[in-house]
Amino acid sequence: MNDIEAAVGERLSVEDIELEVIRRGQGRPVLLLHGLHTVDPQAPFLDLLGRRAEVIVPSHPGFGHSERPADFDTVYDLVHLYLDVLEALPHERVSLVGLSFGGWLAAEIAAACSHRIDRLVLVDAFGIKISDRETPDILDVFNTSPQEVQQHSWHDPEKWTPDFNALSDDEIVVHARNWDALCLYGWQPYMYNPQLKHWLRRIRRPTLVLWGASDGIVPPSYGRAYSALIPGSCFDVIAEAGHHPEIEQPEAFVDRVAAFLEE
Amino acid sequence: MEVWYHNENPYPFVPPDVLDCADSVRASLPNKYCDPQIAADLFEETFDEFMLCDERGINVVAIEHHAGINSLFGANPLVLGILARQIRKVRILSMGTLISLRPDPVRVAEEYATADVISRGRLDIGFVKSGASEMASNNANPVTNIERYWEAIDLVTKALTFQEGPFSWEGKHYTHRHVNIWPRPWQQPHPPLWAATGDPETAREVGRRGMVNVLVLRGEEGTRRAWSAYRQAREEAGLPEVMTDHFAYAALVYVGATHEEGVEIGSKLLWFLNTSLKMAPQYAQFLPGATPPHFAPQVYRTASGPDTPAKGPTDGSRAQQAQANKPAAPAILNVGGLTNIDTAQAMARGILFAGSPATVYQQIMDFYRKVGGFGHLVMIGRSGFMTHAEAEKGIRLFARDVLPRLKEIAPVTPP
Repeated sequence: MNDIEAAVGERLSVEDIELEVIRRGQGRPVLLLHGLHTVDPQAPFLDLLGRRAEVIVPSHPGFGHSERPADFDTVYDLVHLYLDVLEALPHERVSLVGLSFGGWLAAEIAAACSHRIDRLVLVDAFGIKISDRETPDILDVFNTSPQEVQQHSWHDPEKWTPDFNALSDDEIVVHARNWDALCLYGWQPYMYNPQLKHWLRRIRRPTLVLWGASDGIVPPSYGRAYSALIPGSCFDVIAEAGHHPEIEQPEAFVDRVAAFLEE
Repeated sequence: MEVWYHNENPYPFVPPDVLDCADSVRASLPNKYCDPQIAADLFEETFDEFMLCDERGINVVAIEHHAGINSLFGANPLVLGILARQIRKVRILSMGTLISLRPDPVRVAEEYATADVISRGRLDIGFVKSGASEMASNNANPVTNIERYWEAIDLVTKALTFQEGPFSWEGKHYTHRHVNIWPRPWQQPHPPLWAATGDPETAREVGRRGMVNVLVLRGEEGTRRAWSAYRQAREEAGLPEVMTDHFAYAALVYVGATHEEGVEIGSKLLWFLNTSLKMAPQYAQFLPGATPPHFAPQVYRTASGPDTPAKGPTDGSRAQQAQANKPAAPAILNVGGLTNIDTAQAMARGILFAGSPATVYQQIMDFYRKVGGFGHLVMIGRSGFMTHAEAEKGIRLFARDVLPRLKEIAPVTPP
């Protein structure tokens, strides 16, 4: 399963929906839900996490190379799709790791279906409203200049800002599909469900809320508040990482996540 | 041919250094730069121009754009309400309440029916697809914009025509359980419907619906392409051919006493293209849904664009260089090269008709023949720093020496 080439193009079928999926490693099952963008199959954190767990990383409908069925266009659809995925996987319980936008999905899924979840990890997750009505919690990635979004996304923007001139056609097409899909699902209310905050108490599984210390898309204080709403959860930060600690600090990220999953 | 006067009521009086530094002159330029006293003068002048048109037999157009120097007509229904009462003879085209931005199309239908009744049946209703910075200004999801556009048109049309209400609408984007507008429109079954679009796919649907298809500054090639898609879609659907009165072309138009004067003053209209289109990339090529993903490699990598804002990191980084290479205008306009166009190019491409009465008539008719004919000319007669006096002079000359000749052109079946 560690052959990257073989892993690309694999599919996960749920009823009539087919998802592109990356699979790595063996052991305790982990369903990882991606964030603003699909996970690069060559991202180092995948192999690192694959040494400690069986990692299943689907691309949400409309993202990456996953088709989006007609009228499948809300977070409600995504949550129910992943409830189906949980039922379809051959494990009684699965750990759920949600990154950013995928963290919102993971929180919704865990609130709805705690009994199928082993452990929950929310990483720089969206999904709730914390501050007052005139203070946005989450940077508006659509109405902000792309440059400023990059500045806020990374601890080291210089190193990680994508250079479209260096990407392949397929990578750019994927980037554009991700952007459209993210907007479709998350435009309004912008990246949160006003009701979710009240139901986070239903998450009755061990939960780690993990944050990039330099996240300028959604700050660590939001993560702390998120964690306070999930009974018994713990909060931790990854140093020298922005909104994507799994990319900027893969070793520290995997160490922290795997240690939690193995607790 | 019918002629329509169009003045977006722009607000050009923002200091140039502010405009140069801003990454966008729409959506994000703070309204502290809009002096309400100047704005009041501009409204007054524009309404006076519309009333002059009324006197001289030129129909009028009220558009809608939000939060930018290109237009102060953000509240189209208000403008329309004033015109419905003050304009006494000619027709009034709302182009339009930007329908996909409004949460309740039933309310829009109510506004349109009211304007149609007040004007005693002189309203034309235009639907503009919107997009770009309007999405941010109106909190409108760009990805589902076109879906909302068509559903809203369906709902408005039913609200205008259904007389045995209330009826219920439970669509994908709009739900309204008790639709029954009062008054109903004056014109039966409803006022003429227009749609502004240049993309062939949308033009096909406009064609199937038999709406008036207005093309704005598209030039010969883009216009022919859209209208041919319109006609082809009708043919494929087994619908009867339509006459040229189903096609409208909007261009910058200015008539002076002499050719030289017309060109000189008319060139001021290019401000619309050169200055008012400057838009940040998040409202343009990176706006979700703006570009089909398979075109993304071309659009994302697009280099150059001299009107690009120089904002952001100034450390010579790759990020900075990449930013500097990104065009500032909507991809579609950049592709057409409209943002840096000069007078000669604009005239050669059928974007600007300017000169004396005789040469303007000639330019319009040359274009008319090139695109297979149209029944409506929308003249964008004032923009940028053109003065009110200049605009009124142009209207008078056009009305006296060009309009009568255009009026003689009856609708025909396109060749």
